Amino acid sequence: MQMYTRRLKSIICCCLLLLVGCVEPYAPEVIEGPNHYLVVDGLINGNGITTVKLSRTQNISEESMPMAEMGATLLLEEEQGAQYPLYETDPAMYVSNSLNLDHTKKYRLYIRLSTGREYVSDFVDVKQTPPIEKVSWEALDNSLQIYVSSRDPQNNTQYYRWEYEDTWAYTAALYSNIKYDEATGTIVARGRGDENIYNCWRSDSSKDIKLGTSAKLSQDVIHEYPILTLRALSEELRIKYSILVKQYALTQEAYQYWEALRKNTEGIGTLFDPLPAQLTGNVHSLANPDEPVIGYVGASSVQEKRIFVSRDELPKEWRYFYPTCQMDSLLPAEGETLADLAVRFKGGNYMPVTEIYPPQGGIAPIGYMGATKRCVDCRTRGTNVKPDFWE
Amino acid sequence: MTHLYRSILSLLVVLCFVAQGQAQQTRTAFISGNFTSATFEEFAREVEAQTNYHFYFDATAVDSLSVTLQVKEQPLSDVLRQVFQNTDFQFAIDATQRVFITRGTQLSVSLPKNFFEPMESTAESAPQVAATRLQGEEKEIKKAGSELKLYEIGVKREGATGKANLAGHLRDSKTGEPIIGAAVYIESPLIGTTSDQYGYYSLTLPVGRHELKVKAIGLQNTRRHIMLYSEGKLNIDIAEDVRTLKEVLVEAEKDKNVSGLQMGMEKLDIRTIKQVPTAFGETDILRVVLTLPGVKSVGEGSTGMNVRGGSTDQNLILFDDATIYNPSHLFGFFSAFNPDILKTVELYKSGIPAKYGGRLSSVLEVTSRDGNKKEFAGSGGIGLLTSRLTLEGPIRKDKTSFLIGGRSTYSDWLLKKLPNKSFNESSAGFYDINGHISHEINEKNTLYLNGYLSKDRFQLGADTLYRFSNQAASLKWKHIFQNKLYGVLTGVYSHYDYDVTSKKNPVNASRLTFGINQSNLQADFSYFPTSKHTVDFGASSILYNVNPGTLTPNSPESLIAPNRLQAERAIESAIYASDRFDITRRFSVSVGLRYSFFNAMGPRSVNNYAPGAPKTEGTIQDTAVYKSGDVFATYHGPEYRLSARLGLTDNSSVKLSFNRMRQYIHMLSNTTSISPTDVWKLSDANIRPQVGDQLALGYYRNFRANTIEFSVEGYYKKMQDFLDYKSSATLVMNHHIETDVAGAEGKAYGVEVMLRKATGKMNGWVSYTYSRTLVRLDDAETGEKINNGEYYPSNFDKPHDFTLISNYRFSQRFSTSVNFTYSTGRPITLPLAKYTLGNSQRIYYSDRNAYRVPDYYRLDLALNIEGNHKIKKLAHSSWTLAVYNLTGRRNPYSIYFKAEEGRINGYKMSIFGQPIPTITYNFRF
Repeated sequence: MQMYTRRLKSIICCCLLLLVGCVEPYAPEVIEGPNHYLVVDGLINGNGITTVKLSRTQNISEESMPMAEMGATLLLEEEQGAQYPLYETDPAMYVSNSLNLDHTKKYRLYIRLSTGREYVSDFVDVKQTPPIEKVSWEALDNSLQIYVSSRDPQNNTQYYRWEYEDTWAYTAALYSNIKYDEATGTIVARGRGDENIYNCWRSDSSKDIKLGTSAKLSQDVIHEYPILTLRALSEELRIKYSILVKQYALTQEAYQYWEALRKNTEGIGTLFDPLPAQLTGNVHSLANPDEPVIGYVGASSVQEKRIFVSRDELPKEWRYFYPTCQMDSLLPAEGETLADLAVRFKGGNYMPVTEIYPPQGGIAPIGYMGATKRCVDCRTRGTNVKPDFWE
Repeated sequence: MTHLYRSILSLLVVLCFVAQGQAQQTRTAFISGNFTSATFEEFAREVEAQTNYHFYFDATAVDSLSVTLQVKEQPLSDVLRQVFQNTDFQFAIDATQRVFITRGTQLSVSLPKNFFEPMESTAESAPQVAATRLQGEEKEIKKAGSELKLYEIGVKREGATGKANLAGHLRDSKTGEPIIGAAVYIESPLIGTTSDQYGYYSLTLPVGRHELKVKAIGLQNTRRHIMLYSEGKLNIDIAEDVRTLKEVLVEAEKDKNVSGLQMGMEKLDIRTIKQVPTAFGETDILRVVLTLPGVKSVGEGSTGMNVRGGSTDQNLILFDDATIYNPSHLFGFFSAFNPDILKTVELYKSGIPAKYGGRLSSVLEVTSRDGNKKEFAGSGGIGLLTSRLTLEGPIRKDKTSFLIGGRSTYSDWLLKKLPNKSFNESSAGFYDINGHISHEINEKNTLYLNGYLSKDRFQLGADTLYRFSNQAASLKWKHIFQNKLYGVLTGVYSHYDYDVTSKKNPVNASRLTFGINQSNLQADFSYFPTSKHTVDFGASSILYNVNPGTLTPNSPESLIAPNRLQAERAIESAIYASDRFDITRRFSVSVGLRYSFFNAMGPRSVNNYAPGAPKTEGTIQDTAVYKSGDVFATYHGPEYRLSARLGLTDNSSVKLSFNRMRQYIHMLSNTTSISPTDVWKLSDANIRPQVGDQLALGYYRNFRANTIEFSVEGYYKKMQDFLDYKSSATLVMNHHIETDVAGAEGKAYGVEVMLRKATGKMNGWVSYTYSRTLVRLDDAETGEKINNGEYYPSNFDKPHDFTLISNYRFSQRFSTSVNFTYSTGRPITLPLAKYTLGNSQRIYYSDRNAYRVPDYYRLDLALNIEGNHKIKKLAHSSWTLAVYNLTGRRNPYSIYFKAEEGRINGYKMSIFGQPIPTITYNFRF
């Protein structure tokens, strides 16, 4: 009977396991297949440098970096007119000279890959982007909201897209006044000649697609479009923060493309995900019109505006970010010397922070405080070179 | 019991022969002859020529019979027995050498023994006996209990001619429950009807003497001899066919396939349903409905069914007249209906009666039993995951009965016992409760009260908890105005809600709720002016109140902003009339018209979009605000219903039907996640109602004395303005859902072939369906296109579908069932690649529904062991041992993709990926 009960129980358990489900990887052939479609990321700049990045799509289960498409020939073509070449400055990054395009003409991008395959984008009008009226900010409840406002007196723009690059000053969590000298294998004080590894700047660029439209308004006005929200506790707001907003005017078609791309986010598998979107860009293969090509090459001028926000402008009562890191005290064990301790800092991944002095006083250190490089050297996450625009 | 009944009959016949045998013996003529493919008429003529026998038969009834026989000096009875072997013809020979050939039931050539005795001696119908001879008063309702007695109906007049109406109720003699769908007819001339959902029948017959026959599923076939003088009533009690193991399928209406006017309708008796093996040993009506041709589901364990290319929201699921929005438990692993309280399930796929409306594709009408009016009874079942108990009995004998049923799982407790942490944190549970009271106020007025409540809870791991609940109540008052007219007034309330709570990540902890309320009031009338016409008419009105979504934070740390979509409210009304006209015995038509109205009402603010532009947030021109009760959108239109039947021969017919349906409520289902969150949306100023037309043509033929049914039905269906989502639509918590959906057009066509053997040791059905369902989204006005405006397969386009349901009976107590199902995998949109654009990773999707998931197939096996068949014992019990998915095929339940550490991985989740053995104990007392 005991035996029987146990068997029954195991059957029940088995059923429940099945109820809870059996999940196995699913990768149909088509997903495994070599789906390396061309991705064209860039736009034609009406009054400046046009930058286009070519890459390839990769299988969804691949972890490597996207394949760069190098050695291609790119031309910016005016409808029945001039051609302007793009040059590959960095691998797969193609850049034109600074151009001033004719706003009454249409332009397209011509691509010839190193394999000889040819692609073109549709001819598009060069939209005149009106200047950014202002970039403003507001301290909300425990967050900083950044807005962009724009206005086109000619009522020609209506559809807008923004990108931004933001930069902020920050420090390493721990200030170190000593360093390990690789040449002598000893700990020495940091001097004037040493690089500043405490004060740094870090930059980031927008990841979300920011779109706005005045189509429903009687005037072509964008008033305080919220472009970014920063939490009070974020590192960005600790010292000083700067944001450079770039504004692009879009055609309606381009707007719809970006809108679809915006909704098609990285998030997948959760309850609130949008349903799959099909994207139809405006780049086509000349040989095979059915070949999927990803990207929409629009044309417009670019307008930029930068603002700064310092800590002292922000509410005093906010709780701000403060970096913390763990430090270890290194004291010589029996028979060890300070020099033996210093060797532990060899290589640079573990760094000395300060010397430890005897508690009862004395001028000779008895050990060191040490921490990982990440805690001490701010350059691990940014640069200690002050940007030229920094005020 | 049938067996017993038959034995008694044959004994009676034998007795007749014994009684007259002596007299006959002397003059008995022996027959000799050689017949090859002779018609019965030729045969009869030959016999009449050889002997003094005279044959009486219906020439049209025997025309399918052919006689191939070699006899030499044999008595007529032996010869006839050979002739009628394997047919349902019966013969009887009386004392004056008249031979009566009948179909189904043998003609009794002698009067019952007690015929001339005082009526009081027929024990069963004792109280009514006095009335039997009472004439006149139309009030007098006879309760006919004897098959042999002659019941006189109406005011006795000599030489009366013309026609008179006969009506009454059919009831189960044991429980007093009404008998639905029983055929009530006389054979010569053939006039018949079927009892409706209240067991009510109404027939207009020529005045005179008739043999009224009654056939019903699972009940003994019976007949009453009547003498009809004028309009009157006759209630008939029918005994249950106790040995139900034998007659499992729709025996009573075995020629209904061919002779009924209705096409595209499947009626399942609970007994049929109980034979089909299921995953957890629990009888599941939806699972059986899914095995019928033309009915598909998106996947295993999915909540909905797709009928002839319709989406899951296009089925009107009525449980005792109340609309059920989610007919399943645990995401479709169990159906929401407790099998013990069910009586019948009817599915209309085409030729939908005018009485029903509001959904495009089908009507699934689930009817519960009435409760035993005679004595207290109970039934139940104990399974591995669920148990159920039903109690029923009279409150006032023969007048008022109750039925109460409950069902629950104990899977939670078992999950806790499992040694795996993620299972410990999971929970799954449901329960449902049904209550039913029927009260007969008097012969003309009956009240029915139904209540239903179901609740579900499901949690995977410690993260998302999913709950939903159905509530329904209905009150029906049936009033018989006169024999030929009765009406039913029904008031219904239905409610469905769900909520999804997540609390794993305190910052994102949220609670999402959705709810819909529906209140109906409807009046339906049935009028039987003559035996050739059946007229139905009525009106209905539904008030909807929808809470489309509320999102609230679910923990103190949660940063989710409270969000509430504005409520929706609307009234849907309809009036209808239909007439079924039996023009000749072979040709009948039914014409109907339903006109429906829909008014969307405030309070609500409604976005107006720039005309001619795609509806997006950017094209909102202004927002109009409507006060409570203000009507801001109105739709209305006719719905045509037409069906016709042409009998080709006695056992074959052709049927045609056309129907138009309008639907004002739409369901949008987010299918990208593991757990679907459905949003029901009412039509409004920006969302038009769906309209669907269906044309169906079918050929039906019965073989081997109606024991084998064969049918082929083809259909073509067009649907307009059903909602499909645009690319990257957001369906959950969307304040302007019209910007994310678009009215698509769809077409569906297919052929369904079905072969069904209803009786015998081996019974069941085989069906094959070829069908396509295609959708096109190409809005010229707004430029919204999917797949370049080409037709693409819908989510449930599964062209090939094969089903075998079979039952083999070894003995009266042991039977086995085998199921096999195969279907093409459903279409899916796949993420084909990923790429980086605009500093962020994106996914490249294929064309919509361009690929298919693996094909689905499954084999199930069940063994039913019945207890002994003594009628009188404490409890009847049975055991069901079953193995679901015998081959362990891992059919996909859900296919989803998840971003994990920079990779996007695809997963296939199969719920029943291994053979699942179950054991269930059922009892009845």
